Amino acid sequence: MITKEATVAAPAPAPAAPAPPRLAKKRPAWDEVPRWQVYLPLGVYLVFTLVPFYWILLFSLRPAGSTSLVPWPMTFEHFEKVWTERSFGTYFGNSVLVGLATLVMTTAVALAGGYALARFDFKVKRVFMLALLCSQFVPGALLLVPLFEIFAELRMLNSLGSVIIAETVFQLPLSMILISNFIKNVPYSLEEAAWVDGCGRLRAFRIVVLPLLRPGLIAVGSFAFVHSWNHFLFALMFLNNQSKQTIPVGLNTLMSADSVDLGALAAGGIIAAVPVVIVFAFIQKWLITGFSAGAVKG
Amino acid sequence: MKSSNRSSSPRRRRTPAAVALGAVLALTATACGDDGSGAGGDKGAEGSGKGKIVFWDNNGGVRTDVWKTIIADFEKANPDIDVEYVGIASTEYQSKVDTAIQGGGLPDVGGVGAAMLAGFAAQNALDPLDDRLAKSSLNGKLNEDMVESLKAAGGDDGTLYSVPTSANNGVLYYRTDLFDKAGLKEPTTWDAFFEAAEKLTDKGKNRFGYTIRGGAGSIAQALDAMYGQSGITSFWDSSGKKTTLNDPKNVEALEKYAGLYKKVTPAADLNNDFTKMVAQWDSGTIGMLNHNLGSYQDHVKAFGTDKFRGIPQPVGSTGKRVQVSNPVDGLGLFKSSKNKEAAWKFIEFATSHEQNSKFNESAGQVPANNDAAKDAWISEAEPTKLAAEALTDGSTTIVQLPYYLPDWNTVSKADNEPNFQKVLLGKMSAKDFLDGMAEELNAAQKEWDEQKG
Repeated sequence: MITKEATVAAPAPAPAAPAPPRLAKKRPAWDEVPRWQVYLPLGVYLVFTLVPFYWILLFSLRPAGSTSLVPWPMTFEHFEKVWTERSFGTYFGNSVLVGLATLVMTTAVALAGGYALARFDFKVKRVFMLALLCSQFVPGALLLVPLFEIFAELRMLNSLGSVIIAETVFQLPLSMILISNFIKNVPYSLEEAAWVDGCGRLRAFRIVVLPLLRPGLIAVGSFAFVHSWNHFLFALMFLNNQSKQTIPVGLNTLMSADSVDLGALAAGGIIAAVPVVIVFAFIQKWLITGFSAGAVKG
Repeated sequence: MKSSNRSSSPRRRRTPAAVALGAVLALTATACGDDGSGAGGDKGAEGSGKGKIVFWDNNGGVRTDVWKTIIADFEKANPDIDVEYVGIASTEYQSKVDTAIQGGGLPDVGGVGAAMLAGFAAQNALDPLDDRLAKSSLNGKLNEDMVESLKAAGGDDGTLYSVPTSANNGVLYYRTDLFDKAGLKEPTTWDAFFEAAEKLTDKGKNRFGYTIRGGAGSIAQALDAMYGQSGITSFWDSSGKKTTLNDPKNVEALEKYAGLYKKVTPAADLNNDFTKMVAQWDSGTIGMLNHNLGSYQDHVKAFGTDKFRGIPQPVGSTGKRVQVSNPVDGLGLFKSSKNKEAAWKFIEFATSHEQNSKFNESAGQVPANNDAAKDAWISEAEPTKLAAEALTDGSTTIVQLPYYLPDWNTVSKADNEPNFQKVLLGKMSAKDFLDGMAEELNAAQKEWDEQKG
């Protein structure tokens, strides 16, 4: 036990000499970094990334049988062929319809479900969240036959509706979790203030919360669109009529059992990729913000 | 459920109702599908011989145009029947049919080749066609070997589940300009083939004598080269219980064939499926390619008709040409069809002289209809003509691969293609590879025999 006297009697220890400030490792300024250290790795990465795309472009633009490494003489015959003879115009329209419908339905339902998860407590909430997460581990192929039977019972086989529903259902868990995290990041006091001003819950949500969710909605919506745009399995299995098939299924039919038209396949690949590239070019700013915000647990 | 905060129930329910209504309307607008009737076990019905039938093409895409022409002719000749065409890529056909067998939605008629026949027949999805064929005008007009091949592929009870439309055949494509330049003779024997492969190779100039198939589909091609050299003419020994696959002559032949890798072929061949292999050969720096008749038009696009030829596989040291069987393609009638009479009319029409000729001229394959096989276009498409001759003039012995074994696809693809890559890389001996595969096949055959009783 330390007594007062003892404390008083004891000579105060001499204050330790202040430790010399640790020299923080100075990050080199941009101007001090040799340019090759920046551009060489980036260049190598770009080569690996872009060469396959160049190859696709090359095959789509050079005439059949050409072995030239540049697309010259240039021809658009492969694009004409896939768009008209191979019905890619129809497939494109169907893919746009499926993609937009999935986007709207996924975003709308995920918004409602995500709000409930973010703002309400209920008994089985943790179990529900766990179930949502677990559903992500189930591959679509495993549910193919049950889904097929359900849509057959509903007389929805060979309809784009079946693909839209299946895509929406598979997009919802992740979308709901992401949206609920976005909503958690919006201070509840903002909603309360709106209620005090006379808004109901729905109006407060629409006026106050929804505008703040724009990055999140763009992230979730674009994810749903791109996933359904690229998804092959459901469209292949649920759609029979050629006039209802989508781009990925159309691409697949360009490869036969023992022959492949590489020019047409490359042109089809470009047609399939362009909308996704355009979408990402426009929304990349919000997409990065959205995903990083949604990843933070509220 | 309770709100974690002050509860304020929304009064306005119009917005969610409108969203729900919109979703329902959107789905309704995109609906109007079929009822998906017709699963594997359904017995179906003869029907009236009129109305709509659905046809699934097992190699959709490139053959869509010719099938649509045939269908248009059929509908003109049978105004009471409508045919709905569904083109499905060959790679996805089996899974689509399997799903429909389980869940419903099978078509009336479908492409059913030898490679898939055993699986569909085992699931009781196909209608036996022997009686219909016996009463048909087609009786006796179809290539007997192809009919027998499809009967064998459907199981061992000799039932015909698919009417043959065409046969494919292994072809050795070689660049005539490169051979002439190097002073080489046509590679009609395996010895000439190996010699040419070496002489045409100049790795420094990125020129190779041959392109080998090391990726998907490698086994069938390796077996073709192996039996072709060894001259063994049967897949099973005299007891019918042990395969000849790992016979010492076959082991020696496979060693020689696999030894071509990297010596006279590009190193990238290790992952060659047919797409890469054909594209690589069409790029113009490789002397020879083994593939089937199906890629002939691709080569014509790349080289024209004067810089290459497609000839039957080389003959071995025994002086005989031995080849493994290529799957015969055909049309099957699904048991669940509610309109079998109309469906059979379509099968009959599609395999008739004129239509079968039209189809095979477009596909570049050997017609199943004997009259179609005599048509003029055959002599203009040299590889098809030579293949048809080789298959019918007695110069070729076909080693029938056991397509009837339910495990055949697994053994010859998933289980052993990676092992064949090890053989190419020198990490596994040809003997170990063949012994392993033979063991699997002997077990599969034993199980098959036991199931038959």
